Amino acid sequence: MTATLPKDFSVLQPFVQKWALPTEYERGVERRRSTPTELKAFYDAILPLVPQILKRADKYSIGKIEGVDRDLFYMAMSLVEIAPHIEFYNGSPGVPFAFQEDRMIGVHYKQPD
Amino acid sequence: MNTVPRMPHHDRCPELGTGPIPVEPYISQEYYEKEIEKIYKRDWLCVGRVEEIAKAGDYKVKRLDFANTSAIIMRGKDGDIRSFHNVCRHRGNKVVTETGGEETFGNSRAAVVTCRFHGWVYDAKGQLINVPQEDRFAACFDKSTISLVPIHTDIWEGFIWINLAETPRQTLREFLGGLVEHYAGYPFHTMTDVHTYYAHINCNWKTGMDAFCEGYHVPTIHAGSLPGLTNMWSDNLMIFGDHRSLSAFSSEANPPTPVGNAANDIFSASIVAKAQDRFALPPGINPTRSNHFGFEETIVFPNLLIQCGGGLWFTHQFWPTSQNSCMWEGKYYLQAPETNSELWAQRYAVTLQRNAWYEDTATMEDTQRALSSGFLKEMHFMDEEILLRHAFRVIDDRVNSN
Repeated sequence: MTATLPKDFSVLQPFVQKWALPTEYERGVERRRSTPTELKAFYDAILPLVPQILKRADKYSIGKIEGVDRDLFYMAMSLVEIAPHIEFYNGSPGVPFAFQEDRMIGVHYKQPD
Repeated sequence: MNTVPRMPHHDRCPELGTGPIPVEPYISQEYYEKEIEKIYKRDWLCVGRVEEIAKAGDYKVKRLDFANTSAIIMRGKDGDIRSFHNVCRHRGNKVVTETGGEETFGNSRAAVVTCRFHGWVYDAKGQLINVPQEDRFAACFDKSTISLVPIHTDIWEGFIWINLAETPRQTLREFLGGLVEHYAGYPFHTMTDVHTYYAHINCNWKTGMDAFCEGYHVPTIHAGSLPGLTNMWSDNLMIFGDHRSLSAFSSEANPPTPVGNAANDIFSASIVAKAQDRFALPPGINPTRSNHFGFEETIVFPNLLIQCGGGLWFTHQFWPTSQNSCMWEGKYYLQAPETNSELWAQRYAVTLQRNAWYEDTATMEDTQRALSSGFLKEMHFMDEEILLRHAFRVIDDRVNSN
């Protein structure tokens, strides 16, 4: 069940289900199956709200964010995953000229952040 | 435009020559087997960090496929770290069941390991201390004389090293030589949060190493992730016997971007961002304290690459599995984040570097496949590729020795 975000973050409501993902692994999978348009729409919507999201997250200890603040933080972590694709790779959902991404395994991939 | 070092690297070590390098070592099964016998089963190999097994009873198991073995590396109640082959002295089962990854971690409060086949128990010194139904063994069986097969183990700067030889030719300190002083004081132990990535790559371990050991590829391979690094150069080449080191410089940082800047402002964790120095480097690293210093690149023979900056460091290791395959591990070390926003900022830097590693690994299988054809007999290295040339020389001398 998707959380309802606070009013200040209502512009992010359409993105919660897709991008409030707890692990780096899931964010990578989601990124690779997104279109450039979807990546850009999410990037544009969340970028101005990052400072407020991080301020809320910093009220908690690491790994202990709760409720909607955790959803927001996970969305900010998804921004981290997709930002290079907007800021460097011209919208490409995969890293250009890369090794097969799913063959490189992050040991922390499935640990929630 | 690239700034060339004051003295070409090759002039610093003319004994390495300047001619083409043969392809044969990268594709030959016979050469591979000699590398395993004469290098990997004789030299000191880095298998971890002390922080990974910080508490008494902590252990890790490292796969060493080239030797058909795994090493149990364990911290005893006395605080010491020892290693053993993961082979039960009963009938050879693996004592510690590995999780399927390249490294398995665990803890035993009693600082023992137990083989699940028949329940034999060994302490952290490898001594067999419990055998179920011991009285049903013959009189000649004496468990006090039975231990796990030990592996020579030593520690340097918090790195754990093993040596598979029955008697290592050199102590670890002798093996490391001048590297000990070169890195004395570098605070590895303050940056122990690690992000580890690994992949099985169908390339020779040297093909993989080579790709990381020169900056010549940066403007092309990293045009995606590191487009700002258009002016990189290297200097301060130092040869420490079998080992080698140089410093990488860049006059430019990556271009400013909204998320990159936001992350860097919270916690500077990227090797391509400036203002990352959080401590004084050892005197031998960036001795002139140039503002353009990016990182120190050191290869500890045979297969450990350490890249150190002023606030972060990486390692790369390539573990041989055949003449045409290897396992690569890339590890990114940072000071532990204190807040969730620092965690966020650090993950941006790690993600960008991970993407650069996707770019670095992209050529390796293509290169190996092309080399394997045998139609190319030699390769041409330029000055920036001095570390590749030194690697070839040391490896070839060892392979051809007794």
